[in-house]
Amino acid sequence: MIEVNNLQKTFGKGDEAVHAVRGVDFQVDEGQIFGLLGANGAGKSTCVLMLATLLAPTGGSARVNGFDVLEQPNEVRQSFGAALQETGLDPLQKGVELLELHGRLYGYDKATAKARAADLLETVGLSSDGGRRIGTYSGGMRRRLDLAAALIHHPRILFLDEPTTGLDPASRRAIWEEVSKLKSEGVTVLLTTQYLEEADQLADHVAIMADGVIAATGTPDDLKAGMGADVVDVDLADEAEAIRAAAAVGSEAKVVGNEIRISATDGPAVLARVMNQLREAGIEPKGVSLTQPTLDDVFLNLTDGGSDHE
Amino acid sequence: MSDHTVAPTKPASQATQIRLLTIRMLRKVMREPAVTIPNLAISVFFLFTYNGAFGSSGVTSFPGVGGNYLNFILPVTVLFSSISGGAAGLTLVADLETGYFRRQLSMPLSRASIVLAAILLGAIQVLVQATLILCLGLLMGADPAAGVGGALALLGFALLWGMGFAGYSVATGLKTGNAQAAQAATFIFFPLMFLAPVFLPMEQLAGWIQAIAKVNPTTYMLEAMRSVMIQGWVASSLIKGLVAAGIFATITLTAAVRVARSKTSRA
Ligand SMILES: Nc1ncnc2c1ncn2[C@@H]1O[C@H](COP(=O)(O)OP(=O)(O)OP(=O)(O)O)[C@@H](O)[C@H]1O
Ligand SMILES: [Mg+2]
Repeated sequence: MIEVNNLQKTFGKGDEAVHAVRGVDFQVDEGQIFGLLGANGAGKSTCVLMLATLLAPTGGSARVNGFDVLEQPNEVRQSFGAALQETGLDPLQKGVELLELHGRLYGYDKATAKARAADLLETVGLSSDGGRRIGTYSGGMRRRLDLAAALIHHPRILFLDEPTTGLDPASRRAIWEEVSKLKSEGVTVLLTTQYLEEADQLADHVAIMADGVIAATGTPDDLKAGMGADVVDVDLADEAEAIRAAAAVGSEAKVVGNEIRISATDGPAVLARVMNQLREAGIEPKGVSLTQPTLDDVFLNLTDGGSDHE
Repeated sequence: MSDHTVAPTKPASQATQIRLLTIRMLRKVMREPAVTIPNLAISVFFLFTYNGAFGSSGVTSFPGVGGNYLNFILPVTVLFSSISGGAAGLTLVADLETGYFRRQLSMPLSRASIVLAAILLGAIQVLVQATLILCLGLLMGADPAAGVGGALALLGFALLWGMGFAGYSVATGLKTGNAQAAQAATFIFFPLMFLAPVFLPMEQLAGWIQAIAKVNPTTYMLEAMRSVMIQGWVASSLIKGLVAAGIFATITLTAAVRVARSKTSRA
């Protein structure tokens, strides 16, 4: 479990002060995946680094696995595993050496650490590369090794700061599967991502950060529903036809060029009704589409991209 | 072997941490010989060149040199090899640059273990390089007046002096976080190194150099090591050398601890 209360971080002083995090509250229950979304510079990594005991909060408090990040840093450190945005790997070390060393530092004996390392290399698909120096790994391989290192001591809490950035689709999917599996084992995950699809797929709860605060929070479905409407678009031959069609459908239909657009909470039913009305009026549509809001819409609406959103 | 499918209960003891982290750093250093070899090469170079240049010249007849110039020059090269203690700071800087240092801070490790491992690495470097140079010197015909114990005393002095460099490199390296800066900082030791009775006895130096050499701790280190090589056990020389090296090491290691404290605590 992760509990965050009014967490704040200001870098620098005076004129140069950056208020990176300005009072963030959230809670992630045991075995839940919490997705933190936000544009570049929103404060996601700063939050993660404070929870990972690498940055001292300038205000508020946080508990990880029941331990206070300021008062009980070593208990917190034994509880979490982290794959941070900047991976921090030594290029001269071999993959398997990293995992075995860390296994031992977290408290396994030599043989156990060896077995655990072999297991994890297989999990992340690096079994045949473990004997190579990390400096020879591709970016995606480094991310996967980083995830393996985060898991070495079976942490109850996992911090994943943009774990799939730069990964190919197959590797991304493999990581999603691994994260889902960890969740089913009761691991609590805090995940930041730029991919809304990723949050939609994985997260039980999502918070959207903008400018150091949480601008919206809820389940992915809640947030999408909060955006309101599904949109039905009907393509017609020309503008005159579109005007006739709008008259046939009624006042909720708006003419947009050669199209009519109807916003409704119940898109599929409205689509069926509109198709009937058009057929009765003898109007032949050239195409129809039904768009349901995505997390992208929610995201763009809340962040700087919002101004571009209709 | 315990079960690797369940979490370990508590982190490794501090002794284990230091041992494992030191081994990691040793591996790292051995995989990057370009960083360590030059220092060793320079020490060997000095040994051969100066012994070749002055060994058969009339210098040996100067008072203070003794009959064997090799005995006179070997302490210089051993002292030079102790600069390799700087590996401590350079390795930490490399870890800062790759972000591995920060990764260690996110683990349940004692902050002291991380820095102590680096200092230990420096100590091992000095001992290995100084031993190689010493053995080479003995093979070439150096014969310490204080015998085998004298040879070991030379290593002890190299180690103590090397700890001074280790502390200095850790302090500057962690402070700047930049390999070039840490490397450049070691250049201030060149004047210290050479404004001392390095190739000639004190009495043969120009007056102004003598004046500087008298306040240069390197002088007392060299004279202590030379006394062991040329005269045998001379308490006053040994004590002066120990005090000079001790002060140097204490100052730099204290600075290292202070910088490390601030660097390993949360920003
Ligand atoms: N060490 C630091 N010193 C000063 N300012 C910082 C520091 N770290 C982060 N910031 C600032 O804090 C703000 C939040 O940064 P943060 O890295 O948390 O953003 P983010 O949401 O993770 O962005 P991204 O998606 O680009 O990773 C930014 O304005 C950044 O410039
Ligand atoms: Mg970030």
